[in-house]
Amino acid sequence: MKARIREALYIGLFDALPLLRDPMLLVVISLFSFLPVIFIFVFADQASAVQSLIGAIVLTFSFTGLFASQSVYFNKQWFRFQDMFVASKVSPASYALGLSVSGLVVALPGVLVALVLLLLSKSATAAGVVLLLGTSVLLWIGLVFVGFAIGATTKNARRANSIPQVLSIALGFLPPVYYPLERLHDIPIAQAVAMLIPTTHAAQLAKYYFGLISIPAWQVWVGWIYLLGFAALMGFLASRRAHWVDP
Amino acid sequence: MEVVRVEGLGKTYPGGTKALEDVSFSIDKGEIFCLLGRNGAGKTTLLRILATQLRPTLGRASVLGHDVLADPKSIRPHIAVVPQEARPQMLLSPYDHVFYMCLIRGRTRADARERTRKVMDELGLWEHRDKLAADLSGGLRQRLIIAMAMVADPEVLFLDEPTIGLDPLGRRSVWSMLRALTKKGVTILLTTHYLDEAEILADHLLIVDKGRTVFLGTVEEAKGDTGVGMRVIIESAAGNGAGPPEVLEPRSAEEILSIVERGLRERRKVTFKPASLEDAFIKIVGGSIESENT
Repeated sequence: MKARIREALYIGLFDALPLLRDPMLLVVISLFSFLPVIFIFVFADQASAVQSLIGAIVLTFSFTGLFASQSVYFNKQWFRFQDMFVASKVSPASYALGLSVSGLVVALPGVLVALVLLLLSKSATAAGVVLLLGTSVLLWIGLVFVGFAIGATTKNARRANSIPQVLSIALGFLPPVYYPLERLHDIPIAQAVAMLIPTTHAAQLAKYYFGLISIPAWQVWVGWIYLLGFAALMGFLASRRAHWVDP
Repeated sequence: MEVVRVEGLGKTYPGGTKALEDVSFSIDKGEIFCLLGRNGAGKTTLLRILATQLRPTLGRASVLGHDVLADPKSIRPHIAVVPQEARPQMLLSPYDHVFYMCLIRGRTRADARERTRKVMDELGLWEHRDKLAADLSGGLRQRLIIAMAMVADPEVLFLDEPTIGLDPLGRRSVWSMLRALTKKGVTILLTTHYLDEAEILADHLLIVDKGRTVFLGTVEEAKGDTGVGMRVIIESAAGNGAGPPEVLEPRSAEEILSIVERGLRERRKVTFKPASLEDAFIKIVGGSIESENT
């Protein structure tokens, strides 16, 4: 078990190394999700900015999950390192875990800065912080599976770059993650569509646990069930698409 | 001692493409076994099946006594692969690649440092250790990929067109490295399009065409079986374009003598060219194409 975790960490580190070797690029990527927060802080009130900060934390996790697709694609089809790992004692679970956490290594500095800013602007309980991170991590797991399914299915480098970027707009910038769900109150169709998107649920739960919004208990349950179901479904999809040994 | 055994191996991809059909052979310990064939002949498919990266659909294959389908986990710690068209990560240094590959394969940091130095030294990469892979020549990049495989200290090494992009000196350094490995008992299976490479390295070779075996044996047997003999080229001594050179295939000593006499009489240059594997390959694969067309 210890050897497997070691393998996964080194695979993750190797995958993240190009960014870790270039701190300027690391800062830009790490803070990417937080750029809209600056605009909301400037053009709206502080309460909206705090909500958007929570949305940015949720999205940082979801983007790193989604962009696992690039690691999967490039390691398999471009560098062909996956072939080298298959023909070694590296386990498929270590490989998958390594590629999944490599994005987190890059994203964590930004998340830590955001958490500090959040706690400076609004006091929160330890449980609130843990549950905020919990919903984000559950969403991240679901989107890592999406990333693996995309990366394993994609056959050319152009698509491997464009698909996660398009999805990140659809999952991150359009639904009510940075902004409150109530803003869609007058457009019932948009609100209904938003409720089909996993990032909406994760953001709602995170804002709720941080005491920024109040939602009925049944909506909290629906949110958790949705996120768990999404992760399970995407896990199933990824297991059908991503192969260690090619069929 | 038999290290690789393949019996009636076949592979049909999920889309229905038949890539291999009824291939059988074995490889002994310390041997260099070359897989030859045209593009799409099934060489990479066969290599990937033996390296436990791809499932066969028919027949059996074992490496080091373990079945590739039933027991791949027993094979993997003892093998290493240089995949076709593998590329280094451009924003990392050669040292990063080799060192991290050592760590991922389970070496301690101290051991990894030592192994990295040794392998990079052997492949002439040490002086380039801190450059970005993006700044390396094509040949050095290819050597880097080979170095990443070599850290494993494998018993069986699979190389899919390992010398593509290498200059003549680079190719020779890889050849001598492979020969040195076989002296240590490492068994090597390699695919190549360079027939001179196969001629120099191969203890045995398998030529496949459209997934089927068209030749299995030694280089000498390939030349002998196909009846490819010595070639004699007669051309203008001045080389000033006085007609195209004639390529003749004498079958007896008398024929050779008469060609030489004719060359002297006509004051033309006579060159003797021994049969090459390339001649045999063209005859074997060309033959298989003709038999398909008729």
